[in-house]
Amino acid sequence: MIRSLLAWLDDRTGYAGVLHEALYERVPGGARWRYVWGSTLVFTFSVQMITGFFLWTAYSPSANTAWESVYYIQNEMTFGSIVRGLHHFTAQLMIVLMAVHLVQVIIDGAYKAPREMNFWLGLVLMQIVLGLSLTGYLLPWDQKGYYATQVATKIMGNAPVIGVEAQELIQGGPKYGHHTLTRFFALHAGLLPASLVAFLGLHLYVFRRHGLTVKDKNHAPETTFWPDQVLKDGVACLAVLLLVLGLSIWKGAELSAPANPAENYAAARPEWYFLFLFRFLKFEFIEHFGLAFGSIYVPGALMAVVAAMPLLGRWAGGHKFNVAFTWVLTIGIGALTLLAFYEDGNSESHQAAILEAHRDSERIKELAGGPNKIPVSGAVTLLREDPFTQGPRLFAKHCFGCHRYDGHDGRGRLVYESGADGKQVRGVPTAVDLGDFGSPSWMRAVVMDYSNHFADLKNAAWFKNPGDAEVLNPDESEMADWSGDAEALNSPENADNVKALVAFLVAQAAHKDNGQEVVADQKQVERGRVLAVEGDWAGAINGTSCADCHSSIGSSFKAVGDDDADGYPNLSGYGSAAWLKSFLANPGAAQHYGEKNQMPSYADRMTAEELELLVRWLTGDYAPTAVERYDNRLEAASVESGEPAAEAAEKE
Amino acid sequence: MIEDIPQSDETPEDIPVGDASGEAGDVQEPAESLTDPAGEEMPGIAEAEEEAGGDEEAGSGGDDTLAEVSEGAEASGPGRRSFLSQLLAGTIGAVVGLVPVLSGLVFFLDPLFRRGQSSGSDGSSAASKKDAEGFIKLPVTRALLPKDGTPQQVTVEDDLVDAWNKFPNVPIGSVWVRVDESGDVIVFNTICPHLGCSVEYRNVETDFYCPCHLSAFKLDGTKDNPIPPRDMDSLAVKPDTGDEIWVQFKNFRGGISEKVEI
Repeated sequence: MIRSLLAWLDDRTGYAGVLHEALYERVPGGARWRYVWGSTLVFTFSVQMITGFFLWTAYSPSANTAWESVYYIQNEMTFGSIVRGLHHFTAQLMIVLMAVHLVQVIIDGAYKAPREMNFWLGLVLMQIVLGLSLTGYLLPWDQKGYYATQVATKIMGNAPVIGVEAQELIQGGPKYGHHTLTRFFALHAGLLPASLVAFLGLHLYVFRRHGLTVKDKNHAPETTFWPDQVLKDGVACLAVLLLVLGLSIWKGAELSAPANPAENYAAARPEWYFLFLFRFLKFEFIEHFGLAFGSIYVPGALMAVVAAMPLLGRWAGGHKFNVAFTWVLTIGIGALTLLAFYEDGNSESHQAAILEAHRDSERIKELAGGPNKIPVSGAVTLLREDPFTQGPRLFAKHCFGCHRYDGHDGRGRLVYESGADGKQVRGVPTAVDLGDFGSPSWMRAVVMDYSNHFADLKNAAWFKNPGDAEVLNPDESEMADWSGDAEALNSPENADNVKALVAFLVAQAAHKDNGQEVVADQKQVERGRVLAVEGDWAGAINGTSCADCHSSIGSSFKAVGDDDADGYPNLSGYGSAAWLKSFLANPGAAQHYGEKNQMPSYADRMTAEELELLVRWLTGDYAPTAVERYDNRLEAASVESGEPAAEAAEKE
Repeated sequence: MIEDIPQSDETPEDIPVGDASGEAGDVQEPAESLTDPAGEEMPGIAEAEEEAGGDEEAGSGGDDTLAEVSEGAEASGPGRRSFLSQLLAGTIGAVVGLVPVLSGLVFFLDPLFRRGQSSGSDGSSAASKKDAEGFIKLPVTRALLPKDGTPQQVTVEDDLVDAWNKFPNVPIGSVWVRVDESGDVIVFNTICPHLGCSVEYRNVETDFYCPCHLSAFKLDGTKDNPIPPRDMDSLAVKPDTGDEIWVQFKNFRGGISEKVEI
């Protein structure tokens, strides 16, 4: 029954002949593992077609939905991370397999007559695959793809004659936007795959016409494509599949923070298989000849040599030249790639940039997965309005010139300056480290160890050469004297008093811990307040209260007028968000530290939104996060600047 | 190890065909092989079976085909190896093909897996007007409704969740609101239970009417001609809310006589 049906079908279509031709191609010298590369490429392309179609059903190409839809695919949809992972890693493997295939074809001389056309068809396929990689890299619209693709289109803009027009046409305008995505997507899912299918068809047709390039006919008895070679090809494809599946499951395709044209992306690198070109462009002697030379003419010339190989190979010694050229090129590319990896791996700034990029990527996942999901304006606004993300950046922009945060610049990077002999040396902070601002350790240090706590001020130029100006001196003030009475403060009788006072001050600052309210021991706090107001200490400091000098300390304390507070900071809500905002707007105000304070006002240096973000970060007021705090670099900093590390050790 | 598998019994028969055309070993003329249809039809079918089922034993196509396959396999040692090669090649081929396809299909079926999840708000956002029982306050009061029972069309607002986005407090649909003869407020979804167009109010005929397929309903929502499969979809109104009107907004499947919530 089935047989007669198939006979009928064959009579109408001639399928059996085609099938026979496909399956029983001769394999002289027997099936061999060395023939699998082309098949694995066909397989990877099929995987890309399949997974690409399914991703297409969920992807939304526009500047404020592209990242969001990919986020949704990756993190929320069933099997989304698998399908995207397969597509992502297969794309990279395809480049590797293509390189192996090309090198093998050249070494085996498979480009020689009569197979020249097929060699050139293969080169066309290679350009199409590279085009697919380039366009696909941008589609998630994350920082990584955005900035890497910027480089590619800028290079295009430097091409001779039509460069600028070509760049604008592919971008859909002078800069990136909705139409960049729609155009890249149309190329990536439309024109390029269609061309690939067409050229792959030709490539396979011509391949079948000439058959395998057999190196050793006597390796084994002749066999046919099915099943012996198919089995080997299948095993190779299985290995490919297991590799990309494993990578999808255990590594997962990366999705960095949403593209933000206003936010530098210091970790920008092309996809790893283009790193050699990236590194090549960084050579000074290459830069010398202009951008177009290194990025267009040199790669173009190398490609031209490869394309000319079938012609070169006709001459005596031509094949040897081709093989040697291929080896030199392969080794050069490999060496440049390794060099780039090595340099990045040893670059403190690049590693810091990678770390920050990774943190942003983790953080945006938290925010986008929150109960409010993603606003219509796009996920990028979630990060822009997030104190945990923006606080460190603002600190590193405005504050780290004098202050440090856990010994770093807020973004986890150590601060360097140029030393006397022009060498790079660790910068010395000239104001207090704010890593523990408002915490118990901070409050305790202010009370018990005032001079030391603010000792960084003594590094400042204004302190060393004050001229006529009256400046803050952490060693010489009434507070320094009071706090310097170590014997009394450290006495066992006062231990509980100090604890209570610290609890009171911490409650005044009312910082949140990772976005959560901190529950204070109200009895302790009240005891601390009474102590602050009445000064009921043991020992020599008995009768000295905070309120003797500081106005507005504690709610039920009757304030001395702010005008009289010069030199005696008003400590109402000391360290709290409201206090910080008032302080940052005018650090030299009478109720803060008076005109002696050298810190400038930030009311005009930052916008109100920026101030708010910075203050909320410093007071722990943001959506809770599992992203870890940057490593504390304080100890290292202290050791180098010769200060005791006790302060760092005291931190919670 | 696999490289050592010798070729099957059939292949030597095929090879002279290729050799006959032998032109420096480059070109083969497969068309000639058609002269021997019985020779290659069998493995062709075996291959098709493996592709389709991925499981030779369970596939059991035509009995004669299977019999022939096993016959060939039992013929000799090399024959069995060839059969094993075919089985293995077919199975591996099926696996590498099916993994991406099946992963993609599961991915494509995602909407069915999240059917239970409400697309509306859970009332958790600050902007949401929904109460714990799912009632939404309408932007109209009892006092403002016409006393003669003329229906008013009112927009319903709520948080809208659409895949990755959440739109706080946006129009999610509209309802007809009217005071019935006994003075109670009744509310209908404006979507026609027939095929989903919007039901309008006709003040001359004083009825509800759908311009798409001419469904008509009385003002109490009961169907007035045989076109709609059921009455208009009435919505629960929260009792004892004073002048305010709170309604449980829902959408229902169209074209069926039962009222099934979407």
